[in-house]
Amino acid sequence: MNGYTVGENGTNSGMTEQHQFQLFEESLRKVNKLVFQMLINEIIPLSMSVERKLEKSNDEEVSSNMSKLDVNEDSNTTNLLKDIVPSNQLIHDLLDTKDEDKYNKVIDRVRNIGFQVGNKLSELLIFTNNPNLQFKDMDILLIMKFVCRDVWKQLYGKQIDNLKTNHRGTFYLFDYDYPPIREFCIEENALKKELKLVEPFLEFPVGIIKGVLASLGYPPEQVICLATFVDRPNNDIPDTSFAKGISFHIQITTQNNQ
Amino acid sequence: MSRQQSINSSQTAASATAQSPLSRSFKATGEDVWKRTEKINAELFTLTYGAIVSQLCTDYGRDFTKINEQLFQMGYSIGVRLIEDFLARTALPRCQDMQETSEALSKCAFKVFLNITPRVTNWSSTKDTFSLIIDENPLSDFVELPMDAMEQLWYSNVLCGVLKGALEMVQLDCDVFFVSDILRGDQQTELRVKLNKVLKDEIPIGED
Amino acid sequence: MAIESILIINKSGGLIYQRNFSESFASKLNSNDFLIIASTIHSVFAITSQITPKALQITQNNVDYVIPYIPMVGMENSNPQQNRNSNVPVKLGSYKGPDFFKEPFISWNKSGLRQLSTDQFTMYIYQTMTGLKFVALSSNVLSNNAGTTMTGSIDRTKAVNIASQVADNFLRKIYCLYGDYVMKDPFYSMEMPIKSELFDKAVKRMVNNLL
Repeated sequence: MNGYTVGENGTNSGMTEQHQFQLFEESLRKVNKLVFQMLINEIIPLSMSVERKLEKSNDEEVSSNMSKLDVNEDSNTTNLLKDIVPSNQLIHDLLDTKDEDKYNKVIDRVRNIGFQVGNKLSELLIFTNNPNLQFKDMDILLIMKFVCRDVWKQLYGKQIDNLKTNHRGTFYLFDYDYPPIREFCIEENALKKELKLVEPFLEFPVGIIKGVLASLGYPPEQVICLATFVDRPNNDIPDTSFAKGISFHIQITTQNNQ
Repeated sequence: MSRQQSINSSQTAASATAQSPLSRSFKATGEDVWKRTEKINAELFTLTYGAIVSQLCTDYGRDFTKINEQLFQMGYSIGVRLIEDFLARTALPRCQDMQETSEALSKCAFKVFLNITPRVTNWSSTKDTFSLIIDENPLSDFVELPMDAMEQLWYSNVLCGVLKGALEMVQLDCDVFFVSDILRGDQQTELRVKLNKVLKDEIPIGED
Repeated sequence: MAIESILIINKSGGLIYQRNFSESFASKLNSNDFLIIASTIHSVFAITSQITPKALQITQNNVDYVIPYIPMVGMENSNPQQNRNSNVPVKLGSYKGPDFFKEPFISWNKSGLRQLSTDQFTMYIYQTMTGLKFVALSSNVLSNNAGTTMTGSIDRTKAVNIASQVADNFLRKIYCLYGDYVMKDPFYSMEMPIKSELFDKAVKRMVNNLL
């Protein structure tokens, strides 16, 4: 296993190009980071809520088909909230579900959303002429560096902390301070159950990684990606962060793609 | 009302040259807070929201009524939380009427979170219902809907939910809904806010 | 201003957060005591609000509710002795520093209890538009001796005012932390006790900076 430092600037490109790219990035339209965070926080409860509603409507369809008649085009929006379940409740319900099939369906939904984000995001990054990207001779290692550096930077404002590979299609991406879960509340001696609650939230970035790889020639059936919690190598991460780091284990199952 | 006067006088002092002291103040607050928050690229936000809507379309087999409802509920969950952050950042005083509320939404809330300031228009004669015209919608940039969705989907319905939840937390029972959307081929994207009632019993004691 | 204890009370009077920051009188109270204190504060706050308007009519009819911005209250650089690593940018969550806000603001608490002074401690209350109450207990007391001369009494009033303004600035920042940490935790259940360690640490840091 070799370790790579991901943090260095692209050695092939001059500083002016980097600078220009940065200026370009700054000129793009922005939104508040908080709304993005709030939106991705809702992906898990949303996916669970969908699952519950699909189950319910399957049950109802058996009993009657009459409900289709009520046309919901009026302006009374309070009605839309009649069956709302608080998001934190939905997350706990997902953890407590005994039905493995149901759990997997929810997780698949989360991964799919991530996959679409990753797929489109890599298009977006390529269109912006990032000087870090030379697609002529883009091998899998360069693609992984692209994920670690550009994709992560765009999504989370930081890079992956460490990238390791055996040069045979296995990669480990370590993020010791994964931003979307920084504010998640886990008690100091992280209990197993509580880490389990956070696990579904790691499926979104898993989907993203698979989506990026798919857009660059590695279809999802050839890629295995798993996220697990890891301890941090040292204690230099500020104490205002989540207690664990994340390891993304990526395995490319078919060599010599294309 | 002496309290009202004291609020107004402090704001007039800050903006002696502006035509409407209060609206100037909302604008200044919105811009100032926007400058001092962390940001991300709008396109990333757009495509993440797009991925969520498209997943819902798959899940609900293009039953757009259900999708609209789901987006609304997701928005509501966000709104009841986002309002606390908004109030902590802006410390806006309570709005005295819906006209002030409309300005606070447009010039402060939309500005701070989405960096847009929708136009306020189409007031009802009773001054309790208004529209926000969203010219540049960061949720739906570059989005095109297929024909069946154009007829029924309110693509940005999450916004209605957010406003519903946020307004409820400051004791305003409102209906919030889209009446038109450029994505549906309409002239403009119009979001309507209708005050049902002020939840007077729930206003925290000590505000007056 | 030395803060002994911070409480957060939800809109129904339930205690959702309480921490002590020193070995003082507050640390002798148990969690049940604090639950009772919280609901008592909630009630007394309401009673105060009932009797305030009349008192105001008698004394003055134009009260200014604007709280001046007091720079860097509770912030890292506010204490010169801790300024050694000043080249490290201070992290303020999703806020861009150096401070959470920099404008005067209008208090939402117009007629409720804002400050309670005893010869043992002083209590400050900041109430939000959503009905949350942020409460700080401070061991600082203002000496009664200062009030014996005419100028002394003016100084004392001034000191009381400044302390209350510092407290409002400080408690609004705790509210900012609440918005930034607690509201971003998807496991948090609204109106329920806050268990977030990160929020805890952020509050603690701010309290320490105030010393």
